[in-house]
Amino acid sequence: MYAIPSSVEVLVARDLRDALKLASELEDARVMAGGTDLVLDLKTGRLRPRYVIYIGGLRELKYIRDDGSSLHIGALTTIQELLDSEVVATSTPLLRAVAEKFAYWQIRNVATIGGNICSASPAADMAVPLLVYEAFIRAESVEGSRLIPVREFFKGPRQTALRHGEIVAEIMVPYRGLEGSGYACFRAGRRRGHDISLVAVACAVKVGDGFISDVRVALNSVAPTPVRATSVERALAGKEPSLEVIEEVSKLVVHDISPISDVRAPAEYRAYMARLLTREALLEALARVR
Amino acid sequence: MIVKFILNGKPVEVDVNPRETLIDTLRFKLRVKSVKRGCERGECGSCTVLVNGNPVTSCILLTIQVEGAEVTTVEGLVGDEIFERLAKSFIETGAVQCGFCTPGILLTAYAGIKQGRIKSAEDAKEYIGNLCRCTGYVKIIEAVVKAASEVRGSGGV
Amino acid sequence: MGEFKFIGKRTPRKDAEAKVTGALKYTHDLEVPGMLIGRIVRSPYAFADILRIDVSEAVRMGAVVITPDDVPQKPYNPRLVSVHEVTFKDTYILTYRPRYLGEPVAAVAASSEELAQRAAESIRLEFERIYKPILDPFEAIKPDAPKIHERIMRGDKWIEVENNIAARLDYEEGGVEKGFEEADVAVERTFKTGKRYHMQLEPKAVLVVPEPGGKITIYTTTQSIHNTRILISQLFDIPESRVNVVRVPIGGSFGSSIQTNYLVPIAVALALKAKKPVKIAYTREEDMLDHSNFVFYFKIKVGARRDGVFTAAEFTNILDVGAHQVQPYPLLGTSLGWFVSMYKWRNIRYRGIAVYTNKVPGCAMRGYGAPEVQWAVETIVDEIAEELGVDPIELRLKNYVGRGDVFWGQGPTVRSIIKSDGVPELLLRGKEIINWDERGHPSQKKGRFRRGIGVGRGFHTSGAGGPISGEVVDYTGCILKLNEDGTLDYITALQDHGGGTLDAQVKIIAEELGVPPELINIATASTETTPYDVCTHASRGTYVGGECARRAAQIVKQKILETALRIIGRAVNPEALRIGYDEGLKQAVVYVEGTDMKMPLAEIARTAWQRNWGTIGAFVSHRATSAPPSFTVYFVEVEVDTWTGKSRPVRVVAGADVGTPINPDMVEGQLHGGFAMAWGMAFTENTRYDPGTGEISGRGLITDYKILTAADVPGTEEFTVILANTYEPTGPFGAKGLGEAATNPAVAAILNALYNAIGVRFYELPVTPDKIVEALKERGELEW
Repeated sequence: MYAIPSSVEVLVARDLRDALKLASELEDARVMAGGTDLVLDLKTGRLRPRYVIYIGGLRELKYIRDDGSSLHIGALTTIQELLDSEVVATSTPLLRAVAEKFAYWQIRNVATIGGNICSASPAADMAVPLLVYEAFIRAESVEGSRLIPVREFFKGPRQTALRHGEIVAEIMVPYRGLEGSGYACFRAGRRRGHDISLVAVACAVKVGDGFISDVRVALNSVAPTPVRATSVERALAGKEPSLEVIEEVSKLVVHDISPISDVRAPAEYRAYMARLLTREALLEALARVR
Repeated sequence: MIVKFILNGKPVEVDVNPRETLIDTLRFKLRVKSVKRGCERGECGSCTVLVNGNPVTSCILLTIQVEGAEVTTVEGLVGDEIFERLAKSFIETGAVQCGFCTPGILLTAYAGIKQGRIKSAEDAKEYIGNLCRCTGYVKIIEAVVKAASEVRGSGGV
Repeated sequence: MGEFKFIGKRTPRKDAEAKVTGALKYTHDLEVPGMLIGRIVRSPYAFADILRIDVSEAVRMGAVVITPDDVPQKPYNPRLVSVHEVTFKDTYILTYRPRYLGEPVAAVAASSEELAQRAAESIRLEFERIYKPILDPFEAIKPDAPKIHERIMRGDKWIEVENNIAARLDYEEGGVEKGFEEADVAVERTFKTGKRYHMQLEPKAVLVVPEPGGKITIYTTTQSIHNTRILISQLFDIPESRVNVVRVPIGGSFGSSIQTNYLVPIAVALALKAKKPVKIAYTREEDMLDHSNFVFYFKIKVGARRDGVFTAAEFTNILDVGAHQVQPYPLLGTSLGWFVSMYKWRNIRYRGIAVYTNKVPGCAMRGYGAPEVQWAVETIVDEIAEELGVDPIELRLKNYVGRGDVFWGQGPTVRSIIKSDGVPELLLRGKEIINWDERGHPSQKKGRFRRGIGVGRGFHTSGAGGPISGEVVDYTGCILKLNEDGTLDYITALQDHGGGTLDAQVKIIAEELGVPPELINIATASTETTPYDVCTHASRGTYVGGECARRAAQIVKQKILETALRIIGRAVNPEALRIGYDEGLKQAVVYVEGTDMKMPLAEIARTAWQRNWGTIGAFVSHRATSAPPSFTVYFVEVEVDTWTGKSRPVRVVAGADVGTPINPDMVEGQLHGGFAMAWGMAFTENTRYDPGTGEISGRGLITDYKILTAADVPGTEEFTVILANTYEPTGPFGAKGLGEAATNPAVAAILNALYNAIGVRFYELPVTPDKIVEALKERGELEW
């Protein structure tokens, strides 16, 4: 189809309060930020909600603020804005690195970080660095506000922990635990140009006294949701950062994933690339440790 | 609902259903035909327009999203110095074949050059994700890089 | 040859300005008042019989609705290039018996897209029987397989379809058994391709306008306005004189509109019923349901003597046609033609079978079997070279069909002698540039990133002309007229898909007359204002169209000179009169050789007008007597990341023998584009079908049909184009075509380079990264 079907009513929220009111009152409503994912689904008919609550005009949700102990990113910040931000580059470089490989320029100018994680696609790109950073999602509703740890945010393919009436207003990345860590991210696609990721891996690692003191590894497209590779993390904690250790441990990632075969790639290749990219990411992150 | 924005330098006002996409408003209500339906899924870039100077795929943008914004298509860039150099470079290099992807690519390249993002071939390849099936991109990149260096040479950016 | 004034110069194309300013209108950009928008209702099942179509809701909404009962129930073939006797017809404008998922079964038209969409969605289909789709041609030909079609027409006759075989073609020459006995080595391989999609950037569209007096005007994405006109005339029993098809700029095609696309007769039927203009435009997903390439299965065996001479070849070709025939029968012939014209096999046996399956109908895709055949042949030739221990380039030079040899062109009925041949030059120059001798052997290559160099040699015909008439219609025509101010109007039905062929034809006229190309207008064209042209395909625009234009220019030249003589009056020897471009005056002049008498053409034209001497013009219909090959050679260096299985092109040397290049920019552009298409064929492009439902995987979204982006291709410095120094005596100013030759052997070069890098040969396309990793893993070569 060329157009969004007439059965879908699009409502323009005037401000956040208005948006929250609509979200709580309406059944079968989707919230739209940039729309690069949602509008596509509406046009192809994959989704046919009764309502769409458009919040893209809410300037109050577009910001990047460093308060010294954490980075606060308004949900409507676009991926390109993340990419262009000095603050993000210095304080949360992994976010920037992932944003750099996100789709292509036209999409980055419209897609938002809030929209990307709320789509909760198993391939959601921004979920991966946020899982590494152990970010918090601030969800607002007419009842108030709550912070959802990112690890609890993704419940299943295209399902989040948001309750009816909740809208993501901000993503908060605490700096605690990030000092001195090296980071890296890798992404597999079918061509060098823009592509939905077949597998993407991001990690951050810290070394203290010659041993790995903190390691976080996250992947997408290899499980129903973006995941942390806890088997890898547990096996690495306290170990020496050597090539042999990394090679051994990265194989454990298969315990943390359950890739499927689809039109894009067979499951075996995804599992294989998950191992390879985990290995590559860990090695590069270690090389970057300050 | 009434949406007001600037199109190619002129204020416009359209009455649209909020679910209307920008490409449809541009093509059908405002008769801007340079914006092409190539895939309608945000994959090919033939529908690219500039919103506040940044390229976006108008096929998955709702018109309500450009309230108060400046929207630019190639029709609005005729006479602009950077655009003229770019268009001339495309023509002289032979980077235009069937022409269907051309307006979208020109807008993307224009924005990239104007914002100082595109200086080299690597930059051009990074920022121009539009699809073209005819040219194999070699002459397109060549034309963009040539125009970018001319613009820098003349102190344009 | 000498120095050309206009030919060979890099000149901007005439429509460039309109394209860069967005002013050029393609079919979907056209609007007429009162226009209705059409939408097609498609079968949700790949193989089914419909009992009833309930359109009551759509009618209640006020839409114009058509079902199979409302359209002529004549089987047709949308492609009229083959002569009638070998035109196989199994398509209906709308059908109760869909044979692929997405086949049109009904259609609506309404005043807006939204209304049309809702009306289309309201239509209810009731099915009598739903069959399991047959997606494998080897299953389809089994004796117990359900019949996809029972009866089809061939020409005027009804024929029974047996074993879902759409067409066959067998051929033998010499004795292959004896040939193989003579051979010291033999290589036998099977090959399989994917089902590629053209992904031309413009989805197909049509606008049908009923005119006062019962005429209809059609604007559509087509490579042949005349064949579209004839088809509609035949289908709807409307005299051709009341059907006018207008040429509209097209956003690429690559063979997908050689045939009249299915939406055209549907739009005509809607327009006739509504008595209003109707526009239909496909979504991208619908476009993928309208056409894609064939799937080719080859089994090829080649024998060679120790001294490198080929002695025999056996070629079995199984085409997976899809649900309807667009052109499998002629494709069986051209596949054979490509094969036979690659190398001197000396003894050959060919069996070609085209088989129906419940998939999107296959149609020609740039090369029409040549990329596929040349991939297979060039792979085998490389393998024989390896087995014999000879240099692959030497082996090719020893056996290829070149200058002085009999060349088959597009099939067994069309033979000529090759008169221009740049192959040795291209191979020898190319190999130097890419350091062929340093390419090494795969066994020497280690490490994560491995590079390899491969060569692919191929060709395409320039059109489908021949000394006698065979199974293919191939002729063109044009009108060239002198305007009252000395400029010219060039009127042709040929289409420019983007490659610049019309500009090339203009330059040929310019060269013949001395009139600068800027003063030669490419006139708007429609079927009622142009002589018949069969189709712009088969890389025939420059060679056939250009020669036609040149002959018209010669006639116009003669008349101009006669007119000049009339004006000059004095005792001038007519044979001393010349016409040419005057550098000083910057225009065409008629001059008397050996004197300084000259008269601008503008003045001659004006005088003829003012003195009532009539219009100077020419009307030419031209059939080429041969279809000479344009040879292309690709050397490609690839780098394979053996860990991820992904490859990238490091260096490309593309050599083209196009005789005289009319516009080097356009030649280079074709090679760049042809290479990109070949890379996609090699590594990423395929439409896959769900085995249970027959639906295209990924729902037809191009998110999952990946063509190359700018990030995937080499840069200008890494892509070298070399042009052979040749001249085709039968071509206009020595020119030959290029459009398809530009891509044909590139896949072979890429796959041969892959082998040189990692020592693995692949016989099934596309070679996706996981397959490379798998192959390396099996050989214990994964190094991490």
